Amino acid sequence: MSTPVLPVSPPEPPHPAWHGFVSYLTPQRVLLALALATVFALALQPIFITPFPVLLGRTMFVGMLALLAFSAAGQWPRRLPRWWARWLFQVVVVAAAVPVATLAVYMVAVGGDFSSFVESESRMLGFLWIAGSGLVVGPLLAMGALYRQRDAEARNQALSFELERSELERQALDARLRLLQAQVEPHFLFNTLANVRALVETGSPQAAPVLRSLIAYLRAAMPRLQGDSTILSDEVALVRAYLELMHLRMPDRLDYVVDLPPELGGLRFPPMALLTLVENAVRHGIDPSEEGGRIDVSGALHEGQVRLWVSDTGVGMTQSMGSGTGLRNLRERLTLFYGAGASLALTENRPHGLCAEVCFTPQ
Amino acid sequence: MSSSASATPTAPTALIADDEPLLRDSLQRSLGLLWPELRVVASARNGREAVEMFEIHRPDIAFLDVHMPGLNGMEAARQIARQAQVVFVTAFEDYALQAFERGAIDYLVKPVDEVRLADTVGRLKERLAERSRQPRGPAGQAALEAVIDELARRMARPATGSTAAGSALASDAGPLQWIRASVGSTLKLIPVDEILFLRSDEKYTLVVTAEGEALIRTPIRELIERLDPQRFVQVHRSVVVNLHAISHVTRGPNETADLHLKARPEVLPVSRSYLHLFRQM
Repeated sequence: MSTPVLPVSPPEPPHPAWHGFVSYLTPQRVLLALALATVFALALQPIFITPFPVLLGRTMFVGMLALLAFSAAGQWPRRLPRWWARWLFQVVVVAAAVPVATLAVYMVAVGGDFSSFVESESRMLGFLWIAGSGLVVGPLLAMGALYRQRDAEARNQALSFELERSELERQALDARLRLLQAQVEPHFLFNTLANVRALVETGSPQAAPVLRSLIAYLRAAMPRLQGDSTILSDEVALVRAYLELMHLRMPDRLDYVVDLPPELGGLRFPPMALLTLVENAVRHGIDPSEEGGRIDVSGALHEGQVRLWVSDTGVGMTQSMGSGTGLRNLRERLTLFYGAGASLALTENRPHGLCAEVCFTPQ
Repeated sequence: MSSSASATPTAPTALIADDEPLLRDSLQRSLGLLWPELRVVASARNGREAVEMFEIHRPDIAFLDVHMPGLNGMEAARQIARQAQVVFVTAFEDYALQAFERGAIDYLVKPVDEVRLADTVGRLKERLAERSRQPRGPAGQAALEAVIDELARRMARPATGSTAAGSALASDAGPLQWIRASVGSTLKLIPVDEILFLRSDEKYTLVVTAEGEALIRTPIRELIERLDPQRFVQVHRSVVVNLHAISHVTRGPNETADLHLKARPEVLPVSRSYLHLFRQM
């Protein structure tokens, strides 16, 4: 598709790093950190002279700071050197955060006087106890959390792969079912037979060629279970047979030209795809028009890309076109057949009529 | 009938309307064999011609193909039926046959079977004789109208070329199904189902599908009124999104959220007043 007329500003990028940071701080993790801090405060209390609430405050502060450091290291910096694994970085940051946080707590306790902190043996001991136990537990917890997270991600990914696969399988099945349903319409068949009978009754020499076209059409259009692909020249023969029959029925209203470059004839092609477009052009373009019109079926190969188009001068856009379900089904089939690069677009002709164009890279 | 201004008042007259010339000729030939007195005074190629020729020739019988361009057989019958015997002609159309059977309306199925046509001819002769004694009662007329109404409903009758050029909205009534958008020098038709989201962009509205984007002039507030509310919702002053296109929603700060799409990388904002649409059930 071509570029739009006006440039369009992309949406504001959200702040994924912040989101990631916040999402790390799950209530479970915060509660776990606080609970462990309490356990350590209780365990350390007998050997401390500090009152329990103060001790608890210190261990909790260290625990929370370690958790924040863990979360932050999960997001920042955005890029790490290649030899630095993210999980290792996080563990190291947690290990570094514990003594720093403990030191910060004690600096507050001594009012920022570093020398008095170093000289007080009990404070040094307290620092070593808290920092030491934090150093043992913090990195272990960080590794545990990382392991669980990776496990969950792997499961998520497996689940989304599974979903995607079943979605593709469903699409393939749907496309096949629709192809089966796209049988010969009784209305078309009986109307055409009525015309053939009229030719036979009057002894018209046209009768035999018309019957040949009908047989060619029926042979190709009968539902087939096997055979997911034909070649384009077969499809074009089918289109010609169909248009010949329609021209017989509405000689004063339908003109057509089918002109495809012969080098495209050998390409693999999903059966009935081009015919569907031609049938649409007749049904929604020519048939509703009192004056009728002309249908052009053509194609081109350009830089490895194949374009096929069906263009008509019929009534164009009307309510009788429905909601485009047929078009969507056809697009799905083309995508299944040629991959995501295939496209189908509908444009309006001047002064009236529609043009359907298929674009794909042949396999 | 005294009103028939024909030179031979006893000779019945008929009109045949079918868009396929071979079938018109074929029916005329068959009628010629089965009912030599019948004069086919007009043959029409569509419903509009049928009504015009009926006004000129005033035939006793009208054979109307159900499926014709422009004005179809049903619509033509509405205008003719009061003044003539109508016989519908149709190819295999299940719903039509059922409606005819139930309403005891005369019909022929293409290709027309000679035996069946002979039956119809017999019935028509009877009715014409009856009608010369007493005109068709209002009850018969109402039955015919009822059948036509039912058929018109079932046929989802195609509109006759009402293309309002210049407007991006392709049809006039009902929920929108197609959008016209100019892409370069061509007018592209986009089925509404394929739209992932719409975003207003100053004077224009950006229409985004999995395959690309296009700009239309219709403002977003006009579009939203014509779109299926089960499918398209406004999530922001300038954004309307197709619910089927959303892959997931992430909560943002300050009671907002972001919509992530399945087929496009864009992230769409949800403003506070529309957030209720995405609350968990």
